[in-house]
Amino acid sequence: TIGLQVSSGLQDLSLRDRGGRRRDFHDLGVNTRQAMVHVQESKTGFSGKMIKLTTNHFRLTSRPQWALYQYHVGYSPEMEARRLRSALLFQHEETIGKTHAFDGSILFLPKKLENKVTELFSRTRNGEDVKITVTLTNELPPTSPTCLQFYNIIFRRLLKMLNLQQIGRNYYNPSDPVIIPNHRLMVWLGFTSSILQYEENIMLCTDVSHKVLRGETVLDTMHSLHSQVGEERFRDACAKELIGLIVLTKYNNRTYRIDDIDWDNNPKSTFRKSDGSEMSFVEYYKKQYNIEISDWMQPVLISQMKRKRGNIQGSVALIPELCSLTGLTDKMRSDFNMMKDLAIHTRLPPEQRQRELGRLLNYIQKDDNVQKELRNWGLSFDNKSVSFTGRIVQGEKIFQSGAMFDYNPQFADWTKETRGVPLIRSMPMDSWLLIYTRRNYDVANTLLQSLFKVTPSMGIHMNRPSMIEVDDRTEAYLRVLQQRVTSDINIVVCILSSSRKDKYDAIKKYLCTDCPIPSQCVLARTLSKPQTIMTVATKIALQMNCKMGGELWSVEIPLKQVMIVGIDCYHDTVSGKQSIAGFVASLNQSVTRWFSRCVVQSRGQELVDGIKTCLQTALRNWSKWNKSLPSRIFVYRDGVGDGQLNTLVNYEVPQFLDCLKSIGTDYSPRLTVIVVKKRVGARFFAEIGGGLRNPPPGTVVDTVVTRPEWYDFFVVSQTVKNGCVAPTHYNVIYDTSQLKPDHVQRLTYKLCHMYYNWSGIIRVPAPCQYAHKLAFLVGQSIHREPNLMLSDRLYYL
Amino acid sequence: MDKNFKEEFTQIIKFEPPLYKQRHQFVRDLVEKYKPKKVADLGCADCSLLWMLKFCSCIEVLAGLDICANVMKEKMHTLSPLPIDYLQPSERSLTVTLHHGSVAHKDPCMLGFDLVTCIELIEHLEESELKKFPEVVFGFMAPSIVVISTPNSEFNCLLPRVMLYRHPDHKFEWSQAEFQSWALETASCYDYSVEFTGVGHPPTGMEKVGFCTQIGVFFRKYPQTAESVQSEEPMEAVYKTVFKAVYPSLKDEKYLQNAVISEVIFTAQIIKHRLMSKREEYSDDPERKSKFQPSMDCFSDYLGKLVVEKNMEPFVSGNEVYIPLRTIFSFPKVNRLCGTFEKLCKLIAGKVTLSSDGSAVMFNIEHENEEN
Repeated sequence: TIGLQVSSGLQDLSLRDRGGRRRDFHDLGVNTRQAMVHVQESKTGFSGKMIKLTTNHFRLTSRPQWALYQYHVGYSPEMEARRLRSALLFQHEETIGKTHAFDGSILFLPKKLENKVTELFSRTRNGEDVKITVTLTNELPPTSPTCLQFYNIIFRRLLKMLNLQQIGRNYYNPSDPVIIPNHRLMVWLGFTSSILQYEENIMLCTDVSHKVLRGETVLDTMHSLHSQVGEERFRDACAKELIGLIVLTKYNNRTYRIDDIDWDNNPKSTFRKSDGSEMSFVEYYKKQYNIEISDWMQPVLISQMKRKRGNIQGSVALIPELCSLTGLTDKMRSDFNMMKDLAIHTRLPPEQRQRELGRLLNYIQKDDNVQKELRNWGLSFDNKSVSFTGRIVQGEKIFQSGAMFDYNPQFADWTKETRGVPLIRSMPMDSWLLIYTRRNYDVANTLLQSLFKVTPSMGIHMNRPSMIEVDDRTEAYLRVLQQRVTSDINIVVCILSSSRKDKYDAIKKYLCTDCPIPSQCVLARTLSKPQTIMTVATKIALQMNCKMGGELWSVEIPLKQVMIVGIDCYHDTVSGKQSIAGFVASLNQSVTRWFSRCVVQSRGQELVDGIKTCLQTALRNWSKWNKSLPSRIFVYRDGVGDGQLNTLVNYEVPQFLDCLKSIGTDYSPRLTVIVVKKRVGARFFAEIGGGLRNPPPGTVVDTVVTRPEWYDFFVVSQTVKNGCVAPTHYNVIYDTSQLKPDHVQRLTYKLCHMYYNWSGIIRVPAPCQYAHKLAFLVGQSIHREPNLMLSDRLYYL
Repeated sequence: MDKNFKEEFTQIIKFEPPLYKQRHQFVRDLVEKYKPKKVADLGCADCSLLWMLKFCSCIEVLAGLDICANVMKEKMHTLSPLPIDYLQPSERSLTVTLHHGSVAHKDPCMLGFDLVTCIELIEHLEESELKKFPEVVFGFMAPSIVVISTPNSEFNCLLPRVMLYRHPDHKFEWSQAEFQSWALETASCYDYSVEFTGVGHPPTGMEKVGFCTQIGVFFRKYPQTAESVQSEEPMEAVYKTVFKAVYPSLKDEKYLQNAVISEVIFTAQIIKHRLMSKREEYSDDPERKSKFQPSMDCFSDYLGKLVVEKNMEPFVSGNEVYIPLRTIFSFPKVNRLCGTFEKLCKLIAGKVTLSSDGSAVMFNIEHENEEN
């Protein structure tokens, strides 16, 4: 528990992470490897071709025999104010030294004081004598968790000294922004940083980060929304557009999340200050910051604050006029042109990315103050990133109805290779509906003709559908569905004239819950270009086939009697009330069929119980299909946030085991639980021909930049056209499979080939992507568990 | 150094707001009244007065000086520009500088100020420093206004916890008479006038003791000539600069251009949306007006008035919407930023898509139609 106290003390010391309680973001102290005997010696694989890699990790070095000295500082009489405590202590700088880090009770020094207990005497401004007792409590070796936290704090100090601006967790350079006036955006270049103990060294992992800022206030945005949607939908539109966004205020360097908009208040309303007096916002901002609020009719924004201690919830009211927006809204993300314009600036190719990082390290080397601070602590950074060798595992062979294909590893895609080859299992479209509005009559026919052209070679038997024309209203679509959809219908295809969500949601909701029939919605726009219609029709045909229970291709899965599970979560940001866990599990040996369920849970509830039920039904279904229970289970768990690993290890895994036990006393399958993380700071670059390139798909890294306390590895499984490819991190937190690490890595990579909505390799194993799709559909559109009649099909694609 | 700590001796007399805040407010009122452009705070300690002053829009140069670099460094980052200062650069320019040094030394960086504040400073000076202080501040810096505040020792009898001085670092605390005679002598020596006041009223019946903090406000009697600033032969800098922040300002062409471009596009987009929704004959329900409505109404009224003039009317032609620059220029925000129409044209040249004759902002709406 001493360690715990230390960390809680250190939190005060750290530069403020706003708005939330601080978590152990790096999951320090979760040691899962020690329980897995078979990877004690080695967790590295062996297969594949060697490749020379460099990364964005920089070694942190400390002088020999370096230690950090931790002291407890006590005051007699007791002093409350933290600043007073510091002021009193630093009256003795000649004893303590100029280099120190102090949070009010814990003091860190790079040197050992002469005595274990040092008594110092100070006097307060009103003449009170105070005895300060400085007691050495710990001599920390460079690798101790407290030291790691300490390095991170010091590094953030350095970034601040370099005049970088903190926004959220990262630091940005405000002096050289990229301006994109067409979208009123400004992009700041900055850095993410974390210092951790890696396999052999303590290293700084730093990456280029871009902060999108918007040159408009929340009030500006409200005005333009008002002019776009009109009065009637104005409040809804504001809520949709603004809630969940992070804002910067005009008067301090804090960020706040907009949690609500209070339309009943305005800047003239009063609030209670901490001293109990009432004051209007107008008065307050005038008095405190000399800021005049010009629009007195604007509503007030509400931001929930999680207090540090005791978790007391409070809220802060913000004035839209004084808040500036950061980041992108969902609407902006779906704006193709905007994202394209942004990508030019944010997608840095490997060479350029490394160059930017080199610049940061250069600043660090060159700045006198920074160097002095580092020297005083006895620390320094390598200015060259670490290099090592990784492996490119062998490409997979794609099997489709007796045919076998190799794909070009450069593109990681087999669209061309499999064109015109029959599918493994094609579902007939004997009876189906095609619903469209009058305006889209031509488009509907074009789609139909194209489908007739592309389906025969896939082996799909297709009859003419019932063509139904509807009014372009949600109710009209629903009425048709209610009248015409019967249980013998294979699939319903709706052509929508706009991407308005309500219509889509209504259709999906009805056909996923009340009347469980697979459905395919297509935007008229996507069908309107003659040059792409065949490609589009092919994709739609494949997608529909999967939705009806068909299978497209497979890869070789050498393990027998295995069930593969994928779990991902979706958090509803708008209403903030629901979380949805998507759960999928393979049903057959070739892992081409998937069972799915999902858990809908309200805020604060634990996901675990629901997942247990899912696993039970999945096992029941597996045994129905295979006439036995699986002897091996692999769980790929996505959607785990930073700092949640501990919960997973201590609660979720035991629940899985519990669930397996409940199946039968003589049933004990081998279980492997792998945490999948897409958002990682690590980047790898292949040194090819004197330059830096993205490593090819299949690159596996399981040394140097992995963590010694975990059984973890990285796989680069996709390719990107622009920018840097992001590796996916896999952390095996529980494993009784007895499989070699190489086999686990290979299996993982194989599964990245099995996502049927993309005839190529994807970033995560297919079950994770299926689970994501399911959770997203339910979270965005359906809001409750879909009908179980659909559970053996990929209806959510 | 001590001004920010809570007045802990206020068990019997409690000032509301706290005394240090009253002192800061006093300075701010003075700034509001005289609108100085260049303000220096001597003995700026943790920079809290400077922080407050940076929000005063008349100030373009702020400087702080303290003998202790560490105490300045602790909170100096609060004087840095905020992200939003870069996002929405202000019209005024502002430079904030912190110097490490003593008020007993002259440094040319302190020349040319309009207001110099010495809040709770002089009582921390050693006798030798106090002796040099008037020559440095009044003789050398010679600002239009000097504010000096210091404890009034006569008030100490009402502060039972104060033994000798209010703070152990105080070298002296003066009575009203002592302060005033020092101030008057200094003023006459350097051709200033002085007015006495204070903050922290004594309790009723005790008015004799005077304010808790006594303040002297000195006004230079002679006008400042360009000569008086430059007459000194070039001298060596003795202060060490520990911090300098230049705020983004629209006076800087780079920021002005960005601001104009963004405002022009923003305005044009609003006009476009209005135009498009009118074309779709979209009408607001007049029954449902919220509190938020009035400002919107102003906006559309304004737009209504504008389009009366024929040549300023935005129009659609094929897939393109044209919004005349004249219309955009007549919007107050754009107008204020650019000043003249020519300047507007110059600033956006090559940065905003214009019609072939350069008279209107042009948008292509082909793709947007599909969006909705």
